[in-house]
Amino acid sequence: MQDFTFSIVGSGGDGAVVAGDLAAMACAAHGFHVIKTEAYGPQIRGGESSSTIRISTTPVAAQGDAIDALVVFRFADFARFGSEMTLSEHCVVLHEPDDAPPSELMTFRCIPIAFTQIAPKSKNLVALGVLAAMFGLPAENVRAAVRRRFAKKGATVVDANLRAFEQGMEWNAVTLAAPRDATSPRLLMSGNEASAFGALHAGCSFFAGYPITPSSEILHLLSEWLPRIGGTCLQTEDELAAIGAVVGASFSGAKAMTATSGPGLSLMSEMLGLSSIAEIPTVTINVQRGGPSTGIPTKSEQSDLFHAVYGGHGDMPRVVLAPTDVEDAFHTTVDAFNIAEEFQLPVIVLSDQLIAQRRETIDAASLVHEVVQRRIACDADGSYQRYAITGDGVSPMTVPGMPHGMYQTNGLEHDETGRPSSMFVTHERMNAKRYRKLEAIAQKYPLFERFGVRDPELGIVCWGSSAGPVREAVERMEGVAAFVPRILAPLPLDALNEFLRACARVLIIETSFAGQFHRYLRSLVDLPRDTRALSRSGGKALSVAEIIEAAAVQQEVTA
Amino acid sequence: MTFTANDFKNDLKPVWCPGCGDFAVLNAVHRALAAAGCAPHETILVSGIGCSSRLPGYVETYGFNSLHGRALPIATGAKLASPRMTVVAVGGDGDGLAIGGNHFLHAARRNVDIAYFMMDNEIYGLTKGQAGPTTPTGDRTKSTTYGNPDPSIDPCALAIAFGASWVARGFSGDVKGTTELMTRAIRHRGFAFLNILSPCVTWRGEEQHKELRAKTRAVPVDHDATNREAALRFTDEREHLTTGVLYDVMRPTLIEELAAIELRARGDGAPPTRDQFLRAFQPAR
Repeated sequence: MQDFTFSIVGSGGDGAVVAGDLAAMACAAHGFHVIKTEAYGPQIRGGESSSTIRISTTPVAAQGDAIDALVVFRFADFARFGSEMTLSEHCVVLHEPDDAPPSELMTFRCIPIAFTQIAPKSKNLVALGVLAAMFGLPAENVRAAVRRRFAKKGATVVDANLRAFEQGMEWNAVTLAAPRDATSPRLLMSGNEASAFGALHAGCSFFAGYPITPSSEILHLLSEWLPRIGGTCLQTEDELAAIGAVVGASFSGAKAMTATSGPGLSLMSEMLGLSSIAEIPTVTINVQRGGPSTGIPTKSEQSDLFHAVYGGHGDMPRVVLAPTDVEDAFHTTVDAFNIAEEFQLPVIVLSDQLIAQRRETIDAASLVHEVVQRRIACDADGSYQRYAITGDGVSPMTVPGMPHGMYQTNGLEHDETGRPSSMFVTHERMNAKRYRKLEAIAQKYPLFERFGVRDPELGIVCWGSSAGPVREAVERMEGVAAFVPRILAPLPLDALNEFLRACARVLIIETSFAGQFHRYLRSLVDLPRDTRALSRSGGKALSVAEIIEAAAVQQEVTA
Repeated sequence: MTFTANDFKNDLKPVWCPGCGDFAVLNAVHRALAAAGCAPHETILVSGIGCSSRLPGYVETYGFNSLHGRALPIATGAKLASPRMTVVAVGGDGDGLAIGGNHFLHAARRNVDIAYFMMDNEIYGLTKGQAGPTTPTGDRTKSTTYGNPDPSIDPCALAIAFGASWVARGFSGDVKGTTELMTRAIRHRGFAFLNILSPCVTWRGEEQHKELRAKTRAVPVDHDATNREAALRFTDEREHLTTGVLYDVMRPTLIEELAAIELRARGDGAPPTRDQFLRAFQPAR
């Protein structure tokens, strides 16, 4: 197996991110598996940035633990990211000759290359050329990627970049073994892109959103896509209006969605309660970042769990889903629409920055998923009751324009017709009706992944992007299995309990300092006495090594 | 098929206090929807929270009694997803100017194709008598024990400043006039704002109705409603409250802008296929 990770660090204008894009694209075109992540400083434009690409001939589920090659255009920029980067012991550090590596990098093999001197305006392509020669990246695919990327800037720019790439290739670098065994070309998508495509696939025709990192790419893509299929994308004045417009559009019969991040989800709480009591389908994608408050907008964390499953006043049935990787962001989004439309309630998708903004190779053929439509009432009957009591709690909807379907919907508690009521018996009956939907959803959508050995000594339970490094950790250990719910509310309790019964010891893994997932599980299932949690802050991706170490400690302590 | 005011009535009894101005407003809504040629099942009434926001419940159409301050975003979404429907937002001065003020700004700016009727009683009624954005300075209310420290605002001035393309003021004591204004508002292409002075007998006293009647006067017949400066002058009067259409211009509506965007995005061709969307993610080879 061939598996490499390299990182390029620079500041605004250095083209570190562009070089990463080109490398990822070229490798995806060649059929390798790729995961690309980026990190930025706080500046709006310019400032330091880094691009990290893992390339493998076999499927990968996490960003690389250790970096095999590091390109640094300026060590001052590296200082910002250094503490979050782990270099493998054989890591090669490529740097400008006049910029000496800091002492902590002296133990690595540092190779000065005059990137700027070779091609002042395209030093990123020089670096890419050197890396291509080192790792045996598919040069012809890099050239194709360069031609496409710079096509709009004209032939001169394309040629200059191609020349810089060739100069890098020719540079007499240390040549490491190249990944081989390429298969068919793959798509290169981010989680946000997969979510947006999932919405399109599900039949979403209305999107309203307010810009917020790290979810804005969904707004950008749907602003480009929806008008092309006759849909509507609206950038609203704030998140209150975004989810408000979604509720209004859904009331009018459209499949409607918004996307946001923590601060936006906080603002949307009241309207999600309206979506729940008025039983109007809504899909909200919340791309988690460090919190609370403004927190760390550019970095991932799994600390919006409580808000998603419990947030809001009143007894408020809602569904919470969480994708485990980029491809799953597509499936989860379609599931979110299916559940929202069929059961008429708010569905929150808890994505996170790690999934949303990294690029992964995925097989186009895997982007298929069954699509469910809303239950519409038959228009012939004159005695329509919008909130008729039914066995599974779902009452067929009408849409404005249907002559016999008129009703008033309400954020006030209401009776079967939608008319306001403050009576206890009505409130109790309607609460029961609305909560019954969750039972039906739990039966129909027990979404989870389970991997590892059948009878584990140690069972890991995690969710969201943590699933990636956990999957690789489980593969490297013996006697370990993992359970990853993809639906967090209602939890797939039958499957989870069955998994827990098989485990003598349990390790819970999450990036939440307060251990929200651990606490949530404790409130819903009986965990074995030997349960420990790796619950730490986000801001740095979980590594496979970190998980293996935690698993080893757990096994030692309890052995 | 045409409908009469009776077709828009239902059997639900309003929760309002006897003597409330909103009864007359409701009466005018029934008449105006018929006069504007609307069909009950092709009409959506959206409101926020407050005494006046109960109004959709008393009209036989599709109705949405939503959240405090959020009628306009919901009405915007409802209209964009079903442009064929007549969408009317209703609510009070606190709902639209205080908690929902930001949405008022942006709905007007976008020129969303809806009519917005604001029942203005200069007080928070449902929560039992606190000062609102249109309560006069110095007034003692339950929440301003020693007098209201804040200046009141004129909703029509805001609407014109925000970019509403049709702005008018009505008085609930004049049902006929209010009906006419509502009818014009519903027919207007774009965002039509109607401020309706609607007295609150319970928290502003019996006198409010008389005071308002004495203060109101019809807009002069020679007023040029396309003249923004002239329109704004009627929002800055101390002695009078001018009723009638203050401002009336035509400019592209949000629906029209979005249709133009769709045309630009789509060109002449058929909608892209799934594979065409995915092509953007195919690496160059």
